[in-house]
Parts: sequence; C-alpha cells; structure tokens
Amino acid sequence: MSALWQRLTGARTEATAPASVRPPTLGRNLRPEQVLRPVRPAFIWATLGGAFLLNLLPWGRAIWVPDFFALTLVFWNVHQPRKVGMGIAFVFGLLMDVHNGALFGEHALAYTLLSYGAISLHRRIQWFPAGSQSIYVLGLLLIAQLASAAVRLWVGGAAPYWWLGLLSSVVGAAIWPFLTSLLLSPQRRPAKRDDTRPL
Amino acid sequence: MEYGPPPLFNQGVSARARLAFFSLVAAALIIIDAQVNALDAIRNGVEILLFPVQRVLLWPRDLARDVGDYFITLGSLSDENARLRLAAIEQSRLAMQASQLQLENDQLRKLGGVRERLNVPAQVVVALYESRDAFSRKVVIDRGSKDGMKAGGPVIDETGVVGQVTRVFPLTAEVTLITDKEQSLPVQIARNGLRAVAFGGQDPSTLELRFLPANADIENGDSVVTSGLDGIYPPGLPVATVLHVDRDIKDQFARVVLKPVAGMSRSRLLLVLLVDPPPLVPAAEGTRSGSTGTVRGDRAAAKAVRR
Repeated sequence: MSALWQRLTGARTEATAPASVRPPTLGRNLRPEQVLRPVRPAFIWATLGGAFLLNLLPWGRAIWVPDFFALTLVFWNVHQPRKVGMGIAFVFGLLMDVHNGALFGEHALAYTLLSYGAISLHRRIQWFPAGSQSIYVLGLLLIAQLASAAVRLWVGGAAPYWWLGLLSSVVGAAIWPFLTSLLLSPQRRPAKRDDTRPL
Repeated sequence: MEYGPPPLFNQGVSARARLAFFSLVAAALIIIDAQVNALDAIRNGVEILLFPVQRVLLWPRDLARDVGDYFITLGSLSDENARLRLAAIEQSRLAMQASQLQLENDQLRKLGGVRERLNVPAQVVVALYESRDAFSRKVVIDRGSKDGMKAGGPVIDETGVVGQVTRVFPLTAEVTLITDKEQSLPVQIARNGLRAVAFGGQDPSTLELRFLPANADIENGDSVVTSGLDGIYPPGLPVATVLHVDRDIKDQFARVVLKPVAGMSRSRLLLVLLVDPPPLVPAAEGTRSGSTGTVRGDRAAAKAVRR
C-alpha cells in the first residue's frame, strides 16, 4: 500500500522533500527519460480513425467492450493536447450518436467532457508510470459515461441495470498501459534506421 | 489550467471556453433531438456517409459466421432436415385448414357485410447489428426509406412480433424491440380476449402488462397476441407467453411478466409489414365531434405517428 502511495505521490514528494529525506522511489524518477521523436499527424489521425472503426464493429450487447475511441482520444489529449482537442471529440461524438441510434449530441457531450478532463490533467498524468495513469483514465472514462447516463435519465429512457455498462470503463482503464506503449512506440524508435531499430 | 502556456504565443481560445461552447452545442442538440424531429436531415446525411463503412465492418463477423456454417456437421444438417420435414407436414395440414377456413370466413364476412381484412404487404430484411447502447434495445436493418420503409411498421420474425421501425434512414432503419422500456404494444390474452398494453419489462429480456386489475383472469402460460386495436399491428400475431403473475393485495394492479416468443436477439432474417400508420384522429370523425375520434388511444399508435 505504501509503495503504491509513494508511486502515486512520488512526483510531489520529490519536488518538496529536502534532499536528505528523499523517498527511495526517487531513483526511478530520476531514471533517464527517453526523448521522444516528434509525432506524425498522419499517425494521430490513423489511430483515431482506427479506434473509431473498432467501435463501429458489431459488438452487439457485449457491454464489457471498452470504448476504443474514447481511450485513444484521451491518449492523444494527454500526449498531444495542442494537436487533438475538443472539436475532434465533438465531431466524432456526433458520428457515434448516429451509429448507435442515441440522442444526437449525447456522445458528443460525453467526449467533449472527456477531452476537457484529459487536456486539463495532461501535465499531471504524464508524471506517472502507465499503470498509475490508468487510475486517472478510469476516472475520466467514468465521468464521460455518467454524463451520457445523466442525459438518458433526464430524457427518461433509462433501462434497468444500465450501470453494468460502466464495466466497459474499467476494462478500458485496464488496457490503457498496453495502449500507451503501442501508441508511443513509433516515437520511441531510435533515430538511426539501422539493423537494431525494431520498427 | 493553472500552468497556462506562455502568453507569448497565440494559443487560441482557452480550454474552458471551448468546453463551454461544445457542451452548450451538444446540450442544445440533445434538447432539440429529444423534443422535435428537426435534426433528421443531418442524421440522415451522417448515416449515408457512415453506411459504407458500417457495411464493410460487418464483413469480418459475417465471414466468421459463414466459415462456421461451412463446418456444420452432416449429422446436424440431417437432423434439421428431418425436423423441417415434420414441420412442413404439420404446416401443410394447417395450410389446408386455413384455406378452408378462409373460404368459410369470406362467406361469413360477406353475409355479415364486414369489411375484409387487407393482406398486408411485407418485406424481408436482414438485421445488421444491435446498437451498442445499455439504455435501449435497438436493431439496425438493411433497408431504409429508399426501399419503402416507413417509421411505425411492425417487425416480425417466424415466431412472433419483434418490434417496430422507429427511425428510418435512406439506406437503413432502426427497429426498437418490444422489450425496450419505451416501447408499448396493444395486446390481448388469446384465451379470453382480455385486452392490455404490453411494455418493456424491468428485466431486459421480458415484457410486462401494466394497469390490469389484481383480479384479472390471467394464468401462467397464457399466450398473448396482438389485439390490432392500434391499427398498426395486425391482430393475432403471437407476442409472448405469461411467465408469472404477481397479485399483491396491497397493490391495485397485477404485475404480469411476459416472456417474448420471438427470439429477441437471435433471429437475423426479419419481416417488416408495410402498413400505413392510421391518423391519430380520423378526419371524418374529428370534424364531427371531438371525443369519438380518439378512441384509438393506444400509446403505440400515438408513438408511431409521432416518430
């Protein structure tokens, strides 16, 4: 538990604690950070489009399936907030509404909120290792899902057991570390194109 | 954002302003869409753009299904064949009876001067996918307004009523299943003709009859069919069987839970009946006197016309 706490608060303690009482996690925080290569806009668009297509697959009533587009949107909002903003979230939300036969604007509102949350937290989230980032991502996804649930409750069309759908946020947060390593891999390539470069 | 970017560079509109703008637009769209049908044109346009993508994305699933079908064993096919042959014999007997009954019925109707029941044109459609939505139960079918689909058309499969077309796009249409909370359908008990309205139930895969008195004559296993009172669903289509009846003395009404007979999410081939929804207030009666025209007060009819 204390280890988790230190991981969560590691960034803060490092900044405030005097040098003599620095926590043991400091070493990890001082680990040399890899300088990422610049991202290509085509890659951002391809991943956003691909995630949207994944959402369009006929999943039917499999409620545990995560919202791939929401996850990818959060990823780019955290890592490239200047390039991917709320406008994109809003437009893709409208497309999602039409596909799902939901109220026009329901997913748009949810994705806008999600995008705002991710952009506001992007500096903080990047301090943490991917596993701890999942907790923030879970919160963001739940807020977005609850926003769309609130819209439904307000319109009066809430089905019983709708809260089971929140499971998809949990699954989404669980796959966040894998998504992060996947989407960051092109930027982690070494600069020289030689035999050791994996990608 | 406390750590605002340096004001040296032009950052555009602040994040909060953007949030406010997009949230307001989304809220406005939601309110407009929930109240009036003004956004259908935009929706149709987006649907036409999305349609080819959606169809392409159904291929992997259909391919997997086809491969699975290919490897069905000979045994199960011959079993099915035998079963179908039995069913065919049974049905041919019924068909013979039916043609005889039809003749008899025609004669009786002529004698009684009753208007003949129209044969309803129908169209076979394929269910493409279920909408991924925890709040409602909808299925998207592969025919739209280009093929003559209209909102309000009843949808049936080989066993009974499945739902109703509730929104029509140019190339596809949305069918709301009868198990949807918002969907209602006028029914009667086949045994004694007791009329009621069936709604989507608490449990996602059930229906319930509301507003029946606690002493209503309903038993477990009763079959429930459409009553045809709304002028949309033809009378006599099987809807459900009674699962259990809860007669609580404290409550004024009986709680009747039904199990739909049509395979709610299994059947892929569906039949849409192309009926014209009746006007809410028939014109001739509406002009004569106000109240007699609105006898047809079933919510399903009202709903279908509104949509």
